[in-house]
Amino acid sequence: MSKLNNCQEQPKIGVYVCHCGGNISDHVDVAKVVEQAGGLDNVTVARDNSFMCSDPGQELIIEDIKSGKVNRIVVASCAPALHESTFRGAIARAGMNPYLYEHANIREQVSWVHHGPGATDKATALVAAAVGKAGELEALEPIRVEAEAHATVLGGGVAGMSAARDLAAQGLKVALVEKSPFLGGQVAQLDKTFPSNEAAGELLSALAAQVLADQRITVYTCAELSEYSGYVGSFKLKIRRTPPSGEDLERLALAKDAAPGEFVPFVGVAAWPVPYEAEEVALVSGAIVLATGFEHYTPPMGEYGYGQMPEVITLPELIRLMADESATGEQLVVNGKPVGSLALIHCVGSRQIPGVHQPGPDGKLNQHCSRVCCTATLQAACELREKFPETNVFELYRDIRTYGRGHEEYYLNAGRSGVIFARFEPEAPPVVTQGGEDSALTVTVLDKLLAGEELAIGVDLVVLAVGMEPRDNQSLVEKMKLPVGADRFLLEVHPKLRPVELPAAGIYLAGACQAPMDTSEAANAAGAAAAKAGAILSAGFVELDPFVAEVDESKCVGSGACVQACLADEAIEMIDTQVGKRARVNPALCMGCGVCVAACEQGAIELSGWTLGQYEAMVDAIVAQALPQGA
Amino acid sequence: MDACASKYPILILATEDCSYPGANSVGQAHQNYPDNTYIIRTPTPALFPEKFYLDCFAKGIGGIIIMSCGVECPYEGAYPALAKRVDRIYALMKQKGLDIRRLRLTAICTVCNRAFIKEVNLMNQVVAELGAPGSEARAA
Ligand SMILES: Cc1cc2nc3c(=O)[nH]c(=O)nc-3n(C[C@H](O)[C@H](O)[C@H](O)COP(=O)(O)OP(=O)(O)OC[C@H]3O[C@@H](n4cnc5c(N)ncnc54)[C@H](O)[C@@H]3O)c2cc1C
Ligand code: SF4
Repeated sequence: MSKLNNCQEQPKIGVYVCHCGGNISDHVDVAKVVEQAGGLDNVTVARDNSFMCSDPGQELIIEDIKSGKVNRIVVASCAPALHESTFRGAIARAGMNPYLYEHANIREQVSWVHHGPGATDKATALVAAAVGKAGELEALEPIRVEAEAHATVLGGGVAGMSAARDLAAQGLKVALVEKSPFLGGQVAQLDKTFPSNEAAGELLSALAAQVLADQRITVYTCAELSEYSGYVGSFKLKIRRTPPSGEDLERLALAKDAAPGEFVPFVGVAAWPVPYEAEEVALVSGAIVLATGFEHYTPPMGEYGYGQMPEVITLPELIRLMADESATGEQLVVNGKPVGSLALIHCVGSRQIPGVHQPGPDGKLNQHCSRVCCTATLQAACELREKFPETNVFELYRDIRTYGRGHEEYYLNAGRSGVIFARFEPEAPPVVTQGGEDSALTVTVLDKLLAGEELAIGVDLVVLAVGMEPRDNQSLVEKMKLPVGADRFLLEVHPKLRPVELPAAGIYLAGACQAPMDTSEAANAAGAAAAKAGAILSAGFVELDPFVAEVDESKCVGSGACVQACLADEAIEMIDTQVGKRARVNPALCMGCGVCVAACEQGAIELSGWTLGQYEAMVDAIVAQALPQGA
Repeated sequence: MDACASKYPILILATEDCSYPGANSVGQAHQNYPDNTYIIRTPTPALFPEKFYLDCFAKGIGGIIIMSCGVECPYEGAYPALAKRVDRIYALMKQKGLDIRRLRLTAICTVCNRAFIKEVNLMNQVVAELGAPGSEARAA
């Protein structure tokens, strides 16, 4: 990309104010804003247009650049998220550095929220602030780093396998790293999956077959990330494989005769061989996809009688019982005892409310809705009624959230098949007690559907619809400095603007490690992560935004305050120079947060594109425009 | 200027990923708020040193609202660093006789419309009550 490095010249700023049809000009006197902008220091051109984002609007900018009238651009229009890249593109097409550009948001933050002369004054001040910053802008170049055509996926559930398959389909080599000896994740603990009732085994076998047959994918089971360094395009990883132990040995015993790729119900897909001794594999990967999934909530001893009464079980336990092919007859039989009636209780370990629910051992509440358990519970209820018509089913719920395509069908079918619903308030949850007239247990509930009437339901089994909890990823979080949300799930940068991305370039999220979701959503997220990773790796190099920290060595005194403040490992290091130690930034590792800027007492480190000098110029301009004369 | 807006400008330091889109969401909802508010985009407000805030007040900014992403900050560790810095700024403001209500650390998400408007109105009241920045020191 050849650019005029014209930032060395005296700033010649072009200001372009958009009417946005009438969206802006109905409330802002655009002519007045243009007139005032024309009088600002360094402004050589001030124009307006009905739609700056249109071709004629962009042409105004391009012509002014080409004719040498301007060497920095300010556009005053809608929110920058909508058209900043449009205008940067126009500037680049005119042969100018696209970072010599500043945006003033006078629609969402002016004309849509203020009216009358105040709107025009504020728009004028925001344009002046943008002009102030534009005067301080410097040409920047995207950071170019070599990219390894290799991706590592952590987690071999539906999300991880889908991501690995989709990455390999783009011609990349992939390492799929799975902690356990099996592929499949939590879906292996299911029997039939909603919304299609497809068998979990069939789904996983098909996916695993694609993964295991692809020469470009190397599967490491019994494996975890042991070392992590580097940056997008070149992450240096070590994968440690350890011989299985504990629960994994029990699962292996159940699968000992399975061929590679064979699904073993409630265990997973065999992905042999397992390591007999510890080994470490070094990888260089261009991108990483995290697909480490979730854990089922385990009720503490005594929650709804769990752990104290053998007749209280969880939904995953019920799914397993129902899958037992020997379980036939008119009534469900559990532990040799026929179940005349059972109650399914929703929202166990989900949607917990401070002051109402007890926090877990880590002191945290699961305030999120686990999203899938309503449908999973209704699916179980329908299957129970179909398979065991002499077993009565009660669903005790707070709200029914069958949000996905085809999920509502289970709700309708449950009602049609005679499932009886009762709705409770979180502050008055059902109470499970031992014994009943003709039953093992009694569940008492104040039913909102019957105006709060107390129901005492005799049941032989209580099933707790336990929610999805974030997995304990502490070592991964610390090693990779991963952002974690208040709900303890891994946190993407922005759910709408930058879904599945983490702030550190080249690292993506897929599946239930990010939030509760069903398998199709997990596969969608995996596809998005694979597409984003593939897009940056396919060119052989990666171009990163240049908004990273930069050290002015003439001001640096080598205190190391920036290194201490830095949130990313190794993004800044102290190097020996002829005049002593000086800080140096590795642009590929810098996340561009700017925490180091505030830490440096010398003002020797700045964030390119967001310098303190630029901010000060903005504040000066705002004060000059907005502060009443003589104040 | 809106009749209800104080005459001293309020600076809002808004994060690119959370509160800046949050302010846009208020705009999309066409919800009105005082027009003496100037929103400046930043990757994280943790980049501003103490001096930046004090200089703003010295220049005539009546109030500053830091609208961070709070605990949802995508830069792990930036929010605690910011919270510590704000404590230090409060101490410096007290030394200079500035009412610490002129600076507020808040967390505003992309759809926190109500919280955004509440914070802006609150700061506007404070600035209207206190008048020119530094006048409280002269009055004391
Ligand atoms: C009761 C219940 C019923 C459900 N029923 C359905 C249904 O019928 N239909 C449906 O669509 N969805 C259903 N779901 C949701 C479904 O289980 C999830 O959508 C799915 O499991 C998400 O897949 P995942 O790959 O993101 O995570 P997981 O399935 O949790 O897989 C994560 C994998 O990562 C591995 N791992 C973890 N940490 C590491 C690490 N550090 N390094 C390497 N590997 C690691 C784990 O061992 C695991 O294999 C149900 C959920 C529940 C709770
Ligand atoms: S999906 Fe249903 S059962 Fe699960 S937490 Fe949400 S409301 Fe409760």
